[in-house]
Amino acid sequence: MSARGIRIEGLRKRYGEGDTAVEALKGVDMQVAPGEVVGLIGPSGSGKSTLLKCLGAVIDPTAGRMTLGDEVIYDDGWKVRDLRALRRDKIGFVFQAPYLIPFLDVTDNVALLPMLAGLGNAEARATALALLTALDVQHRARAMPSQLSGGEQQRVAIARGLVNRPPVILADEPTAPLDSTRAMAVIRILNDMARKYQTAIIVVTHDEKIIPTFRRIFHIRDGVTTEEPGEGRGFD
Amino acid sequence: MKKLPLRNRSLALLAVILPLLALFIYVALRSGPLAPVAVTLETVEAQELRPALFGIGTVEARHTYRIGPTVAGRLARLDVHVGDLVTAGQVLGEMDPVDLDDRLRAQESVLRGAQASLREAEARRTHARTQARRYEQLFAVRSSSEELMTTKRQELEIAEAGLASAREALEGARSSLEGLVAQRTDLRLIAPADGLVAARDVEPGTSLAGGSTVLEIIDPASLWIDVRFDQIGAAGLAAGLPARIVLRSRDGRSSSGRVLRVEPKADAVTEELLAKVRFDAIPQPLPPVGELAEVTIELPPLPEAPVISNAALRREGDRIGVWQVVDGGLRFTPLVLGASDLEGRMQVREGLEAGDRVVAYSEKPLGAKTRIQVVDRIPGGPR
Amino acid sequence: MISLAGRDILHAWGKFVFTGLGLGLLIGVTLVMAGVYRGMVDDGKALLDNSGADLWVVQKDTLGPYAESSSLNDDVYRSIRAMPGVARAANATYLTMQVRKGDGDVRAMVVGIAPGQPASTPGWPPYLVAGRQITRAHYEAVADVASGFALGDRIAIRRNHYTVVGLTRRMVSSSGDPMIFIPLKDAQEAQFLKDNDAIRQSRRRTAANPVFSRPGQPGVLEAVIASQSTNAFVNTVLVRLEPGHAADAVADAIRRWKRLTVYTRPQMEDILVGKLIATSARQIGMFLAILAVVSAAIVAFIIYSLTMDKIREIAVLKLIGTRNRTIAAMIMQQALALGVLGFVVGKISASLAAPYFPKYVLLVPLDSIAGFFAVLVICVLASLVAIRIALAVDPAEAIGG
Repeated sequence: MSARGIRIEGLRKRYGEGDTAVEALKGVDMQVAPGEVVGLIGPSGSGKSTLLKCLGAVIDPTAGRMTLGDEVIYDDGWKVRDLRALRRDKIGFVFQAPYLIPFLDVTDNVALLPMLAGLGNAEARATALALLTALDVQHRARAMPSQLSGGEQQRVAIARGLVNRPPVILADEPTAPLDSTRAMAVIRILNDMARKYQTAIIVVTHDEKIIPTFRRIFHIRDGVTTEEPGEGRGFD
Repeated sequence: MKKLPLRNRSLALLAVILPLLALFIYVALRSGPLAPVAVTLETVEAQELRPALFGIGTVEARHTYRIGPTVAGRLARLDVHVGDLVTAGQVLGEMDPVDLDDRLRAQESVLRGAQASLREAEARRTHARTQARRYEQLFAVRSSSEELMTTKRQELEIAEAGLASAREALEGARSSLEGLVAQRTDLRLIAPADGLVAARDVEPGTSLAGGSTVLEIIDPASLWIDVRFDQIGAAGLAAGLPARIVLRSRDGRSSSGRVLRVEPKADAVTEELLAKVRFDAIPQPLPPVGELAEVTIELPPLPEAPVISNAALRREGDRIGVWQVVDGGLRFTPLVLGASDLEGRMQVREGLEAGDRVVAYSEKPLGAKTRIQVVDRIPGGPR
Repeated sequence: MISLAGRDILHAWGKFVFTGLGLGLLIGVTLVMAGVYRGMVDDGKALLDNSGADLWVVQKDTLGPYAESSSLNDDVYRSIRAMPGVARAANATYLTMQVRKGDGDVRAMVVGIAPGQPASTPGWPPYLVAGRQITRAHYEAVADVASGFALGDRIAIRRNHYTVVGLTRRMVSSSGDPMIFIPLKDAQEAQFLKDNDAIRQSRRRTAANPVFSRPGQPGVLEAVIASQSTNAFVNTVLVRLEPGHAADAVADAIRRWKRLTVYTRPQMEDILVGKLIATSARQIGMFLAILAVVSAAIVAFIIYSLTMDKIREIAVLKLIGTRNRTIAAMIMQQALALGVLGFVVGKISASLAAPYFPKYVLLVPLDSIAGFFAVLVICVLASLVAIRIALAVDPAEAIGG
């Protein structure tokens, strides 16, 4: 096993108590290696969101084990005290809508995370700018989010997800609002970045256009995942 | 809405905030208790001052004649009305004589009776004298007795006494008549002097007590003004000073006059001096008696001295003085003051020199530490 | 670390500034309200200051001359003047009445001032803004500018006309009516001789009384009418002390030997401020409390709605690891900034508006400072609601589904 990446074993999540309890996750096993982009697909109500929230450390699983890199973060209970710092430093988020902070410009949107982690303003901005350059949006560095196109916004959101070099990035329908060309561009970026920064990326999607691009796909149905190989088209 | 770039928006915000802050500081320092007090200055000038006194009084007639009957009676007629000019001796009216005329006629009869008695007594005496002389001659030639002659002489004396008695009776009757005539004359109301009828208090037919007034006659040439001056500041009031008189009905037009006399007795209750002021020329038409008049007496001008306006005068503790502007700050200068005129100028005996700058008006009370701002006109003041 | 609050304000500055302006006007109203109260107190004090007196001698057992009517014989001052410790004693009358000029009239307090030297005689206006002090013993007036009269105006008080020769400022009665100073004798007459009709009626009543017009006693009626037509009363005797004499000691002596009521300056202030305007003061206090509550509610609502607009951003911020402290600080800073902006606008608007109020509005700097801190406290309290909501936002909301 690589030192980075994410591994999930027997993850369970039950909502409610007693008779009305609903078991959303019934023992999920997943493993994503660093530099790998995997797809997570499943119909509505399949437990997709619940899994994402557990992975994102915003809700508590009921049982199971999660390992991020070589750190066990959950083993029938959280093993880290500060979940917020965990999210900030170890997990990157890319959402369906970019959810950029509207009152910060592009650079500060990205630089906010390192700043929150305690980095100096200038340093944080330099890091952000480097990343924006890597994502080819450095020309919009001083613009406000509302002035960007959808693709640009999504690239900035990816930059924000990457900026603290987390071992894993959770991408929730990142291409949903985009046309196929732009969607493919985003997937290409994700793949590039995964490789470049050795990050494991889990893309939750039901966008038919991009499903063929994954090498591995996890299907989730009724709280259980099954893995199958993807076509892995287009990216080598 | 197209968003401005961040920098421009910062500038826009500054453009709002900075003037606001500037205004705030200005407002905090320039209004309310922290603001400097606006004052105006005046320069002390050496001037001669014409002090004056101001008093008010009423038009009065120096001579007022109240005419009425001396005894009780009823007014029979009244020939004059208010406003009529009358001359001395003119009959103005008459009281009802009642039975006086009858008594007069009776007395005339008595007089005539007395005259007849006198003539009778004279006739008797003439006869008695003739008889007495005849018997004296007869006795001298001894053709009559001495006794007869003595009798005739006695008859003569009796006749003379009767004559004297008749004469006195006539005199008494004549005096009585004259008394009645005088009474009759007294019933007439007669003007004692030339003048103007000022009041007609009763109408014919009215019964009057002795001594009540029927008519008032004034002498228009003797109109004067009974003026009252406040005792404070009335120094210098003396007879002979020129006066300006403004009658209440003739506001704005003044007549000239002169102080006739200052009354030796002042009014102790109202704390006023009384004086009489006479018109140089009685204004025509005649001002009504009792009309209010404002009288300004001009006193002799005073020699040149530093003069300030009375508006500049301030009190600081128990001292009276002015605020002088020295080196941009305020300094209180106590003053010894002299006379003042009616325009509010006051002479300074001690404390200031001509050319000194003193605070004339201020929008607030001043103190030695007050920050001032010299202006031409107090803002918010007279428009 | 960048200031999230500042960036947010910059981003929505129009909304922020206009909200601040609105809040500012409300704070301005609050400050003016406090100023109205201070103005009322100051009116009372100005009345006392301007009289130039240390003691007020009034009719026995009255609260005169301002709070209650009082009447003294006008020669009482002579005996008071002779008391030890009294430097000056001067008669004065105060009567609130309508003063006519042309067709209009103005409600004013007519003050009768004893003849004497300006500045040294108690009761005279201590300073002028134009013209001169009264020099004639009759028919001249000095008016407060608030009356609207100008130099040279002819004004009518009761039966007589007066020429305005001087103007002064801040000479007001305790209810804020402008003062008009006229010579004492005229004022006494004005108090008594109301108008020609009243005089005629009074004469007729007297003449109809058989006691006064007996036949055979001419002159009695005239004498009675003459004695009825004079007014030998004043409202108060203003006393100024010689330096070195205690007000209370002199006041006691006058009370004891002259059997009159005497008030010292603190007692007079107590009457004017404590008794005359006590109800109005409570009224204004009530208004202040309501305005404070309304301001707090408005700040709370504004901050609440600003926060609700950002609820998604706050969820994202939380999701990406922003601390509660940072988010709370952002909201509170915005509330405080709004408060400061509102206060600045309020202070400016209050200061600019104050001179246009019909009654005196006195903005005391200490009040403003107290108001500033009150605004900050209100803003902090008002932001607590929004902070509570922001902290309750679930970061999971940022993740769809």
